[in-house]
Amino acid sequence: MSKDKLREELHKVLSDGVVNFEEEKVKEAAQRVVDEGLDAYDAVMNGLAAGMEIVGDLYDKHEYFVPELLMAADALYGGLDILKPHLKLDDMDQRLKGQVVIGTVQGDVHDIGKNLIKMMFEVAGFTVHDLGRDVPLEKFAEEQMRTDSEIVALSAMMTTTMMGMKKVVQMIKEKNPNVKIMLGGAPLTGDIAKLFGADGYAESAGNAVQEAIKMISQLRKLEG
Amino acid sequence: MSALSSRERVQKFFAKEPIDTMPCFSGQGMVTVPAIEALGIRFPAIHLTAENMAGSAIQSMEMFGFDGAVVPYDMCTIPEAFGLEVSIYEDSEDILYPTIPSKWPRPEEVQIPRDYLQKARMPVVDEAIRMLKTRIGSTHAIGTWLLGPFTLAGQLVELDVLMKMSLKEKDKVEALLDKLTELIIDLGHHYRKLGADYVNLREMGTGADIISPRLFKMIVQPRLRRIFEAWDSPKILHICGSTDMIVELMNDCGAEAISVDHKNTLSETRSKLGNEVLLLGDYDGFTLPGQAKPEQIQAAIKACIDGGVDAVWPGCDIWPDIRSENLKMINDTIKAMGRAPTPAVGRF
Repeated sequence: MSKDKLREELHKVLSDGVVNFEEEKVKEAAQRVVDEGLDAYDAVMNGLAAGMEIVGDLYDKHEYFVPELLMAADALYGGLDILKPHLKLDDMDQRLKGQVVIGTVQGDVHDIGKNLIKMMFEVAGFTVHDLGRDVPLEKFAEEQMRTDSEIVALSAMMTTTMMGMKKVVQMIKEKNPNVKIMLGGAPLTGDIAKLFGADGYAESAGNAVQEAIKMISQLRKLEG
Repeated sequence: MSALSSRERVQKFFAKEPIDTMPCFSGQGMVTVPAIEALGIRFPAIHLTAENMAGSAIQSMEMFGFDGAVVPYDMCTIPEAFGLEVSIYEDSEDILYPTIPSKWPRPEEVQIPRDYLQKARMPVVDEAIRMLKTRIGSTHAIGTWLLGPFTLAGQLVELDVLMKMSLKEKDKVEALLDKLTELIIDLGHHYRKLGADYVNLREMGTGADIISPRLFKMIVQPRLRRIFEAWDSPKILHICGSTDMIVELMNDCGAEAISVDHKNTLSETRSKLGNEVLLLGDYDGFTLPGQAKPEQIQAAIKACIDGGVDAVWPGCDIWPDIRSENLKMINDTIKAMGRAPTPAVGRF
């Protein structure tokens, strides 16, 4: 089998494996990419990320929901863990450069949305500084300053915790108005995100993935 | 006919008997910062003693003209009674509701102590309901709420684990849901005996933005049916978030009242469910009391009524840091606009 055909075949297995939550198949295919000396970054973007793009579409069409997203994410991570050590320095130059600080605000221990969007940032090549959940508000600004990250992504699942986001946005924008701030979580609306001074928002874990997928799709098109 | 007391208004409303005007109330937390400040206490304190819990509920009710008071305020009382640690954020100056920082890793590991009613803050909630009964029970409605089995399970087991296991190891999740269903049935009876006029079942982790309608039908609906079969009226089911796809399934659980939030398309819901069921909702409990301008308040209340609700109530906990003039206006507007009959409830 030619290298091109093998590449295409393995990418399909990776993509289908993410869509169908087949973690073991994804791991096997990722290992074959490595063993056959194929491009790991190509496999991440055109196998795993392409699969997650389909998952995002299925979420959008109400065929997949959060449990399905989580299962697909497990499959994706299964492959990513194998491929990541094999990304070449040249790949790193190709990859979108950027750093993100991400976390769930103090008072909120729900981190599904945060973890999904973290995964998409990782796939896209960002360096992710994950502060975890129930994070004291001042930590976000401190970590942004420490890492000089371009993006801060905050999540809150409950109405009762989203007010913390407003304070974080203020703290960060006061120090560095150029930082882009993404808010995520069920209680948010576009109006509230705007009121809080954010640059973007997603109202659910699925929407967050969709937003990240749009970004990655653009990247793939640019590279294509 | 003479004017109804607040309690009579709520009771007749749930019985679908003619009333004078729409009740102003909620099935979820509606404690406010002005009320807490008037009592001279801080936010974390309202969760810790029966006096603070009941006192802040009554103060909020009286300050803003609600027809009833609701306790408790946080979703951690049951997990705490099962032995999980709770963060109360006692030192924080912000409004932070209690959370469970660490949960059981798997559903089959959840332990339910036999004497959970005597543990942690369960006696505080009991005593707060008793206090409400004594202090306002003859004139005002007393409301409480319980999480539905799936949402409660998500407070006990890491949510991502619970969701994945709902697809992969359904039997283990269902075994926990069955145990929690029995517990919720018992607790509902218990709170009604203590004096609650209604218990709102909040199954907010099961909207169609989280799990599929198929999964809802498979593992959630059968348990909700069991709860409503066992409970006495009034029976209220609340789910927030995306509910347009599941309102018919919600209505097929045996509740007499369906409560939704502002992400629901009310007019479509009313049209799907018909005029028999009580529809409750669905103003935004953050924006309207905390941010909106007077004309936006009027428009939002009118939109709820035009959408076909029988009572305008918040789709979630009211965010406590309200503008007093906003919340007063919300309740005044509900009373003024609510004089006309609604689909399921007439007027005398």
